Amino acid sequence: MSKKVCGYLCKGCGIGDALDLGGLKKAAGEQGVKEFKEHDVLCSPEGVAMIQADVDAGTNALLIAACSSRAKTDEFSFGNQVLVERVSLREQVVWCSAEAEDDDRQMLGEDYMRMGGVKLTKSEPPAPFQLEGEVAKAVLVVGGGISGLNAAIAAAEAGSQVYLVEKEAELGGFLRTINKLGPQTAPYRELEDNPLPALLEKVSGHANIKTFTGATVDKTEGAPGNFTISLSNGESLRAGAIIQATGWTPYDPEKLAGDLAYGSSPNIVTNVQFEQKAKEGGLGGINSIAFIQCAGSRDANHLPYCSAFCCLVSCKQAMYVKQANPEASVYVIYKDVRTPSQSEEVYREAQRQGVIFIRRDEAYPTITGSDKLSLETMDVLLNEKVSLEELDMVVLATGMKPNNPKVVEAPLVAFGEDQEAAKKLVEEAKAQTEDWSVLNLQYRQGPNLPTLKYAMPDSHFICFPYETRRTGIYTSGTVRRPMRLTQAQDDGVGAAMKAIQAIRAAEAGCAVHPRSGDESFPEFAMQRCTQCKRCTEECPFGAINEDEKANPLPNPTRCRRCGVCMGACPERIISFKNYSVDIVGSQIKAIEVPEEDEEKPRVVVLACENDALPAIDMAARLGKSWSAFVRFIPVRCLGSVNLVWIADALSSGIDGLILMGCRRGDDYQCHFIKGSELANVRMSKISETLQRLVLESDRIKVAEVGITDHDKVAGIINEFMETIDSVGPNPYKGF
Amino acid sequence: MDYNQTFAKEVYEKVDSGDEIKVCMQCGVCGATCPLRGEMKYGPRQIWSLIRAGRRDEVLNNPDIMLCTSCYTCQVRCPRGVPIMEVMHGLAHYALAQGIVPRAETAKFGKAFWEGIYDTGRVDEAVVPIKYCLQDGLVAGLKKSLGMMDIGLALMKAKRMKPKMFIPPNIFIPGVHKIKGVKQLQRMLDKAAAIDAAKEA
Amino acid sequence: MDYFLYYGCSLEGGGVHYMISTEAVAKALGINFHEIEDWNCCGASIAYIGGNEMQSIVLNARNLALAEAQGGYDIVAPCSSCYIMLNKVNRELQAHPKLMAQVNEILAEGGLKYSGQIRVRHILDLLYHDVGVEKIKAAVKKPLTGVKVAAYYGCQTTRPFGEYDSCENPHTQDDILAALGAEVVEFGHRVKCCGSGIFLTEIDKCAYLVKDIIESAAAGGAQIISTACPMCQMNLEIYQQRVNAITGANLNMPVVFVTQLMALAFGGDKDGAAALNRLVVPSGPALQAVGA
Repeated sequence: MSKKVCGYLCKGCGIGDALDLGGLKKAAGEQGVKEFKEHDVLCSPEGVAMIQADVDAGTNALLIAACSSRAKTDEFSFGNQVLVERVSLREQVVWCSAEAEDDDRQMLGEDYMRMGGVKLTKSEPPAPFQLEGEVAKAVLVVGGGISGLNAAIAAAEAGSQVYLVEKEAELGGFLRTINKLGPQTAPYRELEDNPLPALLEKVSGHANIKTFTGATVDKTEGAPGNFTISLSNGESLRAGAIIQATGWTPYDPEKLAGDLAYGSSPNIVTNVQFEQKAKEGGLGGINSIAFIQCAGSRDANHLPYCSAFCCLVSCKQAMYVKQANPEASVYVIYKDVRTPSQSEEVYREAQRQGVIFIRRDEAYPTITGSDKLSLETMDVLLNEKVSLEELDMVVLATGMKPNNPKVVEAPLVAFGEDQEAAKKLVEEAKAQTEDWSVLNLQYRQGPNLPTLKYAMPDSHFICFPYETRRTGIYTSGTVRRPMRLTQAQDDGVGAAMKAIQAIRAAEAGCAVHPRSGDESFPEFAMQRCTQCKRCTEECPFGAINEDEKANPLPNPTRCRRCGVCMGACPERIISFKNYSVDIVGSQIKAIEVPEEDEEKPRVVVLACENDALPAIDMAARLGKSWSAFVRFIPVRCLGSVNLVWIADALSSGIDGLILMGCRRGDDYQCHFIKGSELANVRMSKISETLQRLVLESDRIKVAEVGITDHDKVAGIINEFMETIDSVGPNPYKGF
Repeated sequence: MDYNQTFAKEVYEKVDSGDEIKVCMQCGVCGATCPLRGEMKYGPRQIWSLIRAGRRDEVLNNPDIMLCTSCYTCQVRCPRGVPIMEVMHGLAHYALAQGIVPRAETAKFGKAFWEGIYDTGRVDEAVVPIKYCLQDGLVAGLKKSLGMMDIGLALMKAKRMKPKMFIPPNIFIPGVHKIKGVKQLQRMLDKAAAIDAAKEA
Repeated sequence: MDYFLYYGCSLEGGGVHYMISTEAVAKALGINFHEIEDWNCCGASIAYIGGNEMQSIVLNARNLALAEAQGGYDIVAPCSSCYIMLNKVNRELQAHPKLMAQVNEILAEGGLKYSGQIRVRHILDLLYHDVGVEKIKAAVKKPLTGVKVAAYYGCQTTRPFGEYDSCENPHTQDDILAALGAEVVEFGHRVKCCGSGIFLTEIDKCAYLVKDIIESAAAGGAQIISTACPMCQMNLEIYQQRVNAITGANLNMPVVFVTQLMALAFGGDKDGAAALNRLVVPSGPALQAVGA
């Protein structure tokens, strides 16, 4: 494309007073932005109209030197074909440099102008990726329980073709075993009928839903917008997105034989078995009964987590007993009653009907007897050991396990590290990984959805609850996390909406979250590829397959555009039209490094634009200030940081670098799951490079900054500046 | 200790507002907000817990059930909407009706207060303390009332109490102002008493 | 503006200065108070000891029925306990037709009937919502400039229903006092219970409640406490020497009714309309700034 470049300088928000605009323009001019316009308030309608007039007249590359790229986004966007580069003079120069000398502030501004200028001149507007052939728009739902049924209905009602696959001969899943539901609607006094018949009627009557019962998925190939699914019954289907709603399995009560005497009496049953009895009408003759909550749940020796449904179910089942015999003594022995939202009403109704709740400590109650049972427990609210005698039955409220194969990933190992040791780690992880599959994905990284803990599919669950680490594949209901029936029902609707969204994104050739709408995607200069497999192994989303010669085979509709592959590639062959190793490297090189005797060190902060950058902006907005020797470069993810940038920076005299990004580990906050983890691993290997250059490892720091950590930003920078002071100037200055 | 629900059922059925405690979730906000919790062995939460466990004697003989200042704080703050104060009054009343006196002095004062209402339709602030004191017998009663002399004198000096307080009570009580409809009022109260007595039996 | 003023037993005795000042304030603001003829005691909270729930309901239903028969005006109760008892029973009766029928059977013994038409109001409700702060301000002739006052609400003035003001953070009395020109201080114990219900019989325990309230007001800078409840006024005021003896405190805080301060600000005589001579703890320096 032929670029017509123009720069725009805003004088508002204190910029005009604090900086010499002539100097700024001159600096940008060095990087090819020769023409400039100024405005007192660039984001005002008049300012925007001034830019728009130029765009209408053919200007298509804009350097907007005003506020942060996170501010005024609507005002300063002019369509996909107009490149816009924002220079954050307000947040990153004027607001955060209260204590700086005027000339240092000016140098800071001029550096940012150069960095913005070079990025603008090196970027190209992205052209969206287009799948070959027709985009598949059907939604595949795997699992015909409450969540899957609702997902199917929601997608069908939104106009999508739905394929519903159920491994049993009949639809319904666990719902088929349920007698009644607890009260669901105000005033929450009455048990309600099982909704399954109504749901089945809706599904069978819907023209958009095609059901396959007694079938499982043999193979899933392709990518969002183009999945091909082979079923065990020989059918082959095309779908644009997939919802896995495979539900749960009850915790194995045999494992509670020791703790809760399961198996010692036919009158000690699980909640699932009790429901069956209720459904068969077998609750007559119960005069006294106890329900034991957290039977194996929230227990490190069994299920360490809360299963979220057992308290509600025990309240409901206690009501079965009270309805059959209002005089019955019904006890619920609990650690904590966890009945959030409307479930609380069910808890209250059970109490109203006379159910007695006894709070116990961590120890399990002792159960003895065979026909009539005795139970002894610590009542922590009375602070006494109490006993219940002549119990007709004891119900163990057991928890749920997700119907999903556990995947254990080997710890990340830096490129170049001991490959034998790495192999061993991979073997160990493999041994813990379960070897069955629901979807049988034909993906380079394996047939299953990556899991984090307890075999529940991994996702950035706060921001993107239905997401898995396989784009276009969503989990819904109890396979995702333990939940109660109404939540699983709502989950189905949410997952259906996400599935449809993924198909639309594949059609448009843009990213799904978190870079929703981004039309750029990674392109591979294959002639220089060395088949090292870093990209295919490290992509957090399994987006890249491999051919038999280990060449990467990218699937852009699976891609989230984080750039982890770009950061991984030792040959630097992966780039986006507007984000590449060369572009960021050029930005670093555009920083003017003063001579050593000027005593003006230079530090580059590579900042994650999802979390660290907003925190930096917020800190500046709140009036925090820090050293004017620091230059921020926003990166899509710390995982996209290529080691060559570090080497480039240090060899051009930059004194130090901070990588600022999200929390890593099991409680990660990285929007791209593994990005900050990868950056950290890669940096752990940088010391070798530094040694080669005879530089101190203190010059590199990885700092965790969450989006709410604005109060930490200045401290991290100032502390690092002290470190740089103590290690002294980079000896490569002036080379 | 064995759990037994007989007493819980007795409370639900016979104590005024007693069945409201069923929905207590044992959070303890009631005790935490009670101005006199520091003076009690058991706060409301624990009393309800004892009721559920069937500890009849421990509950009805507990002086804490009659230490309520009637300030409604627990009731306002109870997240489950239990009318805690009303239940506590109900329990104390029930205990008294069973011949148990959880707190003797407050019981005497309450009795004097109620008799004042029943006899005349209104309460004379000067008469109630005297009647309260005299329940201990004439000599002890006079001693007790002399102990309150400073308060009475101060009020009298401020013209907020008529001097009749200091005349021996049997002389002035017949002369106390009665409302005109006192006879009808007494009939009403008798009829109301019969209804509740049937419930408590 | 016609209302029934339900005096209650306190205003006939220890709270006589409440009655005097309330009547003076009413006159100044154009409020006509009527007495409910032959009213009886509300029973107060302590009634539960001698009487049962139904008897307590009947006591109050009788007054409501009398009011309905005598003109049906809103009943204004200056005493918080009377207000709560009348209000509570009224709400119960209005909400439960079965109870109403049962109670009417009993009321019939005295030839009375209640149909549920009466509203029960606290005097702060009347002053704040019906009269309004602006009208009160306009009636001020001698602003209480320089008077540092703590607005104490206690318990039953707003609890448990919070109908006209918040249970936890009320403001009506503060606003009225501010309208008089007084400086209303911040203090933490404004809705804490003073223990008056059982003060006489449990003084050793309740003394600390009084101590804490008064000390909290003093710590806020108050020289005088204002209240709208006769039990609070009496309890906080007349036992201060006793409380000092029990707790080792050193209390000497005048406690007045909000209506006394109003009467004073409206230009009433300090010992007449404002009835300051009825105090056991003299107002002393607290009101010197306004010549009282």
